[in-house]
Amino acid sequence: MAEYIQVFRRALGQLGGHGGIRGLFYQLFRVNDLKTGALIGVDKYGNKYYEDKRYFFGRHRWVIYTEEMNGKRTVWDVDGSMVPSEWHRWLHCMTDDPPTTHPPVSRKFLAETHKFNVSGTREQYVPYSTTRKKIHEWVPPKAGSQ
Amino acid sequence: AFGLARFPQQCARGRGPASSSASSCLDRQTDISDSSLLVKKTKFGPLSDQDRIFTNLYGRHDWSLKGALSRGDWYKTKEILLKGADWILNEIKISGLRGRGGAGFPTGMKWSFMNKPNDGRPKYLVVNADEGEPGTCKDREIMRHDPHKLVEGCLVAGRAMGARAAYIYIRGEFYNESSNLQVAVNEAYTAGLIGRNACGSGYDFDVFVMRGAGAYICGEETALIESIEGKQGKPRLKPPFPADIGVFGCPTTVANVETVAVAPTICRRSGLWFASFGRERNSGTKLFNISGHVNNPCTVEEEMSILLKDLIERHAGGVRGGWDNLLGVIPGGSSTPVIPKSVCDDVMMDFDALIEAETALGTAAIIVMDKSTDIIRAIARLVEFYKHESCGQCTPCREGVDWMSKMMWQFVQGDAQYSEIDMIWEISKQIEGHTICALGDGAAWPVQGLIRHFRPVMESRLGQFQKEKNQQTTT
Amino acid sequence: MLRLPVVSRALSGVAHTKGYGAAAGNVRTAATTASNLVEVFVDGKPVLVEPGTTVLQACEKVGVQIPRFCYHERLSVAGNCRMCLVEIEKAPKVLNINSVGKSTHWLLWLAVMVLEDLNPVPVAACAMPVMKGWNILTNSEKTKKAREGVMEFLLANHPLDCPICDQGGECDLQDQSMMFGSDRSRFTEGKRAVEDKNIGPLIKTIMTRCIQCTRCIRFASEIAGVDDLGTTGRGNEMQVGTYVEKMFMSELSGNVIDICPVGALTSKPYAFTARPWETRKTESIDVLDAVGSNIVVSTRGGEVMRILPRLNEDVNEEWISDKTRFAYDGLKRQRLTQPMVKDISGQLVPTSWEDVLTRVAGALQGAQGKDVAAIVGGLVDAEALIALKDLLNQLNSDNLCTEEVFPMAGAGTDLRSNYLLNTRISGIEEADLLLLVGTNPRYEAPLFSARVRKSWLHNDLQVALVGRKVDLSYTYEHLGESAQVLQEIVAGTHPFCKNLAQAKHPVVVLGSACLQRDDGAAVHSLVSTIAQNVRVTSGVQDSWKVLNVLHRVASQVAALDLGYKAGVEAIRNNPPKVLFLLGADGGCVTRQDLPKNSLIIYQGHHGDIGAPMADIILPGAAYTEKCGTYVNTEGRAQQTRVAVTSPGMAREDWKIIRAISELAGITLPYDTLDEVRNRLAEVAPNLVRYDDVEEANYFKQANELSKAVNQTLLSEPLVPPQLTVRDFYMTDPISRASQTMAKCVKAVTEGAQAVEEPSIC
Repeated sequence: MAEYIQVFRRALGQLGGHGGIRGLFYQLFRVNDLKTGALIGVDKYGNKYYEDKRYFFGRHRWVIYTEEMNGKRTVWDVDGSMVPSEWHRWLHCMTDDPPTTHPPVSRKFLAETHKFNVSGTREQYVPYSTTRKKIHEWVPPKAGSQ
Repeated sequence: AFGLARFPQQCARGRGPASSSASSCLDRQTDISDSSLLVKKTKFGPLSDQDRIFTNLYGRHDWSLKGALSRGDWYKTKEILLKGADWILNEIKISGLRGRGGAGFPTGMKWSFMNKPNDGRPKYLVVNADEGEPGTCKDREIMRHDPHKLVEGCLVAGRAMGARAAYIYIRGEFYNESSNLQVAVNEAYTAGLIGRNACGSGYDFDVFVMRGAGAYICGEETALIESIEGKQGKPRLKPPFPADIGVFGCPTTVANVETVAVAPTICRRSGLWFASFGRERNSGTKLFNISGHVNNPCTVEEEMSILLKDLIERHAGGVRGGWDNLLGVIPGGSSTPVIPKSVCDDVMMDFDALIEAETALGTAAIIVMDKSTDIIRAIARLVEFYKHESCGQCTPCREGVDWMSKMMWQFVQGDAQYSEIDMIWEISKQIEGHTICALGDGAAWPVQGLIRHFRPVMESRLGQFQKEKNQQTTT
Repeated sequence: MLRLPVVSRALSGVAHTKGYGAAAGNVRTAATTASNLVEVFVDGKPVLVEPGTTVLQACEKVGVQIPRFCYHERLSVAGNCRMCLVEIEKAPKVLNINSVGKSTHWLLWLAVMVLEDLNPVPVAACAMPVMKGWNILTNSEKTKKAREGVMEFLLANHPLDCPICDQGGECDLQDQSMMFGSDRSRFTEGKRAVEDKNIGPLIKTIMTRCIQCTRCIRFASEIAGVDDLGTTGRGNEMQVGTYVEKMFMSELSGNVIDICPVGALTSKPYAFTARPWETRKTESIDVLDAVGSNIVVSTRGGEVMRILPRLNEDVNEEWISDKTRFAYDGLKRQRLTQPMVKDISGQLVPTSWEDVLTRVAGALQGAQGKDVAAIVGGLVDAEALIALKDLLNQLNSDNLCTEEVFPMAGAGTDLRSNYLLNTRISGIEEADLLLLVGTNPRYEAPLFSARVRKSWLHNDLQVALVGRKVDLSYTYEHLGESAQVLQEIVAGTHPFCKNLAQAKHPVVVLGSACLQRDDGAAVHSLVSTIAQNVRVTSGVQDSWKVLNVLHRVASQVAALDLGYKAGVEAIRNNPPKVLFLLGADGGCVTRQDLPKNSLIIYQGHHGDIGAPMADIILPGAAYTEKCGTYVNTEGRAQQTRVAVTSPGMAREDWKIIRAISELAGITLPYDTLDEVRNRLAEVAPNLVRYDDVEEANYFKQANELSKAVNQTLLSEPLVPPQLTVRDFYMTDPISRASQTMAKCVKAVTEGAQAVEEPSIC
């Protein structure tokens, strides 16, 4: 009996933690997961960082991405690079000190504002051949130049 | 010096008791000359004055035609010519004359190679007056003091081989000699001795004097031919021999000045007279040049087979500081191996005796070295000469002699390993016999002679250098 | 002195002269009867050889290779590398002198002397004629020692730069030092260094690597006929070079790269680009002149890296001309790689095959009979020629022309003997008199000219020339410039007729350049008459051909064999609506010659002269990219092979035409190369008998027909178009696109230093 109560309580907690049934489904569709935990902090873009030590190590810290970032709608189209570098350390368990309590040292190589990763998009960098062409084709003379 | 190549060794082998086969190059000739008329001589030299061929060797008399006539040159040349080629050849064969340029090839046989059916090409006699071998100065004495002997010799030798003309290729440095010779040729032309109807014998014979440009290699007969043709003086491959395809593609015999110059006298005084000097197979008289550490360096005509010691003592005033001060002798021009005093004591100056002593008669240019000589340095300088004079045509000589020269100068310093003595011996063996002409051999032999007889000297030099070097590093 | 009088050569039976040696042996001579063969032994194995054979050749006869550097079978014997030293065991008994004729006994006597003399030392196998009973020891201790010694000397001053040497992998010195050299070095002295020489834009010299074998010098003076190369200095300082700083100016200069046994002379354009073991070799033939030299195309990664000669005794021996060898970089420039079509503004723009093929097919469908015409250029293969001819014939058009003119008057091209080099290239070696008319064979067909020089050198070939005086590599009698001289010869009033009358094997060669003139038919007729007359006076048998035409372009003979009209006169007189240019880059017809609205289709591989005036461009394949049949000026059918794929969208020419025909609804009946060749065999069977020459005959009939020609001779002199070496390098679309050839032109006009590049090595 007691375990059923436990399950029920967890279900209530999920409902409450995600802001009702609507919030729960929104979270489920968006993240494919339902997790509640302590909100450790929110970065300047609005990404929220959670921790719940009851989960297995590696699943115990997570991020819920913001819905709009640098003018890009990021409700469905999220990208791991949206995590700023200071939170990246905490999120990946390089440190237990979140930037909320231990403000990061500012470095000049750290980007001020986030830039999206353009790989796989039109803007991506494509390397080009630097070797000489084996065959030089004929370029027809411009019309009227004759 | 170039003729030194390989003939003497072969003849020496033929002489040995083991190989009395008929294949020796000399046996054919001995059929003629080995007559019972000759008494076996045991003592050779000194040559009496009336037996000298070159009577103006020292230049005390007039060298021009007038003087030459007074000395008996051009005497009955017409009669000699009229006796015909076979007679002259026979006399030369009987005389046992061997080439005076170094190889000692039987002259009569060589000249008879030219007596073949005429194929329409003219034949030529080429006289090798490119006397460049260090230590040798016999031909220049003939050409400046007795040029008519040579001109007459050309005519007689030319008649013997049916040659149309003679080219005298004279060394470029011999300016005065060539001018004397040219004057003599001109005199002979004017007197009708050569040219059209030479000496009134009905035989047409021209003599041309060609001056070289000072390359030692042009003393090699085929290089000399190339040089006459106006090409670079580089030896040709043999065969074809000059007797087949020589100067301008025509049959040619190349003979040394001395060989040619003695021919008229042999014809006049008979081959038997000439053969009466010297040992069997080494007959005749010979010009010897004695230079180096002697009291009186000279060129002298002497009988073949004279003892080396006699020759030096009698004509050159003895070795500087006495015979016991002798270190070694290079007996036949710079390309022959040096022999130490122990050998010099009783060696005879002729082709075969010197071959037995592992050296050669060569041009009979005796270079005497007394005990003050740095023998390694002397040989190094000779090798450097050969390095400078190598034509560069074929590999062993071009690369090998340069290598030897570099090594020899290290031996002079002593800055080398003991094993390098064996190495330079091997290198000299790799050069010897592998080249187109005999210059490679001539460069290898002095080194071989040095190692053969003076290896202890070399080793002590190396030891000395090591000791000094060790002292320097310790202090 | 290279050209010795006959009398001295007659004697060189046993002994060679220095200048001759093996080279003389190359010239075809009647086989010696078996009775006077000499028996020698090679390592104890008996072999019968002709007297005068060298030791090396005797060894080769039993399959024993003697190492060598300076010896080359087509050059005179120098005998200076000494690598071929072998030990000889002399015969046990002395020759019986009495049994030999008196005239030679002295020679044999001499030989006996030599034999005895040289016995203790090894002999140079390349120069020493064998004597009866010799046992040649090719592997004895003494032989090995001699080789090892020579190899040590050669390597003493040779730089150790094999890793950066272009000869690496095909270096005789490398190979032979592995085979015959010692396994360690004793040389501790400093090495010699030699200054490099700039001898032109084709040959790179690294003279420190030179081993003074003098092969290049002998090649230059004997084969190429220019005494540009020689040695200076002596001893260890001997250097090979041009005596003064100048370019090695010969149309055959590239061959010294092949004959150099080390990396002293390498190819400048090929420098540092490829290694021999990483290239793929394709045996092909050259199409840049009408000789059809046999070549090997070295490719790597779909790129032609270099071109090397291939042995063919009947055509090019083992040489190729500089254009053949070095024009390959033209194959990589100015290429047509995609179909193009003129847009509304008149600009050629790239498009797809479907587009152009439908356009062409449509145009052809709309034009029938004399509205369609085709001109073919000089580099077209027989497959494309037959396909195009079939296509146009299907359209009821027979306006198929070649750019090169050949007079159609008289027998014209109906009798093959009229337009072939009937004597054949190798036939020149048997000739004793050669009359050249209006040609400069040295630049029009360098290999033919080299053959003439060979015959002139060894067989006393007498050469005479009518036409502008040119610098040939052999002396010739200049009979005059104008064609009137020919008339005098026909009339018998010219002094040269005496020589003609005495000739036993006369050859008359007419340059195709003369036929381009307006009086081409008259010139041809005169030459034909001269040939016929001299053939009668010489009394030579029927198999000997006298009349020859020397063509300048590779496709001409095949085109004439297939029934193409020679010359574009018909098209000028009768301008078509659709003109198909198949590799026609001669500029014979321009747009001005055609009606305003006519369509010009250009199919070919280079954007040269034909492409800019075309409306539609069909990119074809060059000779290294297709398997094509070419017939050389002798009438010898040969085929090129695919060495690389054609660039971009370019395709083989006959396939393009086949595709057009299908779209035009007149599908040609062949789908594969074999089927095309079957069709070729139907039209002209000789075109598929590869490496074979189909003999042509009916000289007499051709001559009689030519008498009907009544053209008046022009008074202008007969001037071949290629007068100096400057005109040699750029003659066709490929060589005109080649930068190397452009550099050559610059170098010969302004001197080698004008194209000097910063030295990399």
